[in-house]
Amino acid sequence: MKRWILIAVVILIAAAIPQFMNPNGYWIRVFTFTLLFAAMAQAWNLIGGLANQLSLGHAAFFGIGAYTSTILLINFGISPWLGMFAGGALGGLAALVIAIPTMRLQGHYFALATLAFGEVARVIANVWSSLTGGPVGLSVPFMPPSVAAYSFKQLLPHAYIALAALIIVTVIFEVIRRGAMGYRLRAIRENAAAAEVIGIDTTKVKLQTAVISGVLMAMLGTVFAQVAVFFDPDTAFSAVSISIRVALIAIIGGVGTAVGPILGAFFIVPVEELMNDLFSAGAAGLSQVIFGVILIVVILWRPRGLVTIFEALRARLSKGAQS
Amino acid sequence: MTILDVRGISRRFGGLQALSDVSFSVPKGQIVGLIGPNGAGKTTFFNTLCGLTRPDKGSITLDGTPIVGLKPHKVAGLGMTKTFQNVALFAESSVLDNVLTAGLLRHDVKTARERALVCLERVGLRSVADKMAGNLSFPERARVELARALCTDPKVLLLDEVMAALNPVEMQEIMDLIRQLRDDGITLLVVEHHMRAIMAICDRILVLNFGRLLADGAPREVANDPVVIEAYLGRSAEAHA
Repeated sequence: MKRWILIAVVILIAAAIPQFMNPNGYWIRVFTFTLLFAAMAQAWNLIGGLANQLSLGHAAFFGIGAYTSTILLINFGISPWLGMFAGGALGGLAALVIAIPTMRLQGHYFALATLAFGEVARVIANVWSSLTGGPVGLSVPFMPPSVAAYSFKQLLPHAYIALAALIIVTVIFEVIRRGAMGYRLRAIRENAAAAEVIGIDTTKVKLQTAVISGVLMAMLGTVFAQVAVFFDPDTAFSAVSISIRVALIAIIGGVGTAVGPILGAFFIVPVEELMNDLFSAGAAGLSQVIFGVILIVVILWRPRGLVTIFEALRARLSKGAQS
Repeated sequence: MTILDVRGISRRFGGLQALSDVSFSVPKGQIVGLIGPNGAGKTTFFNTLCGLTRPDKGSITLDGTPIVGLKPHKVAGLGMTKTFQNVALFAESSVLDNVLTAGLLRHDVKTARERALVCLERVGLRSVADKMAGNLSFPERARVELARALCTDPKVLLLDEVMAALNPVEMQEIMDLIRQLRDDGITLLVVEHHMRAIMAICDRILVLNFGRLLADGAPREVANDPVVIEAYLGRSAEAHA
């Protein structure tokens, strides 16, 4: 009960924050991207956290989603709301195709194989210019503002859409984590042979998880496209700023927990922006160096993620209550 | 009625013939002991039965269904599962979650939880249900393995040294449990090094040596079989007798 109140309060605060921001300003953009990256890291968390498979190729699904809805909008005038589901379907299909050969790989090998698949997707998007516009990139055409057309004058509605997306992906993550599939995934993670012997179809469960994760990531690609308005293959399929970043956000926040990716995103995205803001006038690359140092310090301080701060706090509180 | 029928099973690992033309059949409700010196092929044999290892030759029929080539989860679904000799629990999950996960084979989460608690009760570990499996003692972990296997509702249960490192009281409890399971209609194949225990609970004993079935009979017959004594003790067995 207390837990639900806490969740409701956090959502209300998150919903109130944009009201105090310039509805078309810089900070609402940062806020929207923070929510979006939290949702992306949460989608990644299904594979990276529950199945414990470190995917470094999630940009493939994200890019597929961004491109699918935008191409459908440009060529056929199809609303991105529908394009989002088309992108989700293609993203899920791509996840299946990638998962079938990589699923048997463990640890570093899985990470490297998925990284390669993500890069292949980026190269294809660059080369297949008749479909994607190639390295020039795509502009989302301006539509008369309406909810149905997923087009708005201000950034404010995008912030709320990103918040809704984060809530939906988090609920999906929690339902899976707590349900039969969550038990099966934990069993596979801890001992795959034993999981098979007690009746778990390990192949099927891993494929299902990969597909769900891919579908969600692709749908979030559409949300990104509508906020970004312009993007090219090197942005939407980026290994560093998409694939590795979502993994980093989930890991810094606390992998395998629902709160982890949210904490991670609210730490990493604003801090990175702030560093760029403060130090970009100085020597080239200084902001990245400082950001890197901050990440290292955080990882040394909380190797199992920022989420462990709450555990430590709770332990201290209950200790205080006893004495 | 035959529940498990094994015909001409062979399996080679490189230069090692781990199993060689093993055949036997088990009627429903028997407790069958599987003994043999270290490296005789007992664990390979269990792995082959439950689908973890594929035989090079031969057929296995479980309750009328041929199962060679099926994955372990299919074999579990058809009613045969095993425990792991080296204990393969989900160490970072609670004892209850370990057993509950097995119950999901045939039930939803809620029913699986109820079933898991019943299984834990049967192995005498209900009180540690909420502990993390990795924090238990070795004998306790072996019993969690047993509860977990039990929670898949097996027709045939393969137990690989569940009595290792138990004290005599605990061992007696497990022996009683094995007999109860048999009375419930479960067929059991038991690998155990503790001869007194295996002689006491088994209706029948199979002896494996170098992957071959050396003997198959009632405990008393097998214990007095000169071929078996030689396999265990070497040629100078008479001198010790």
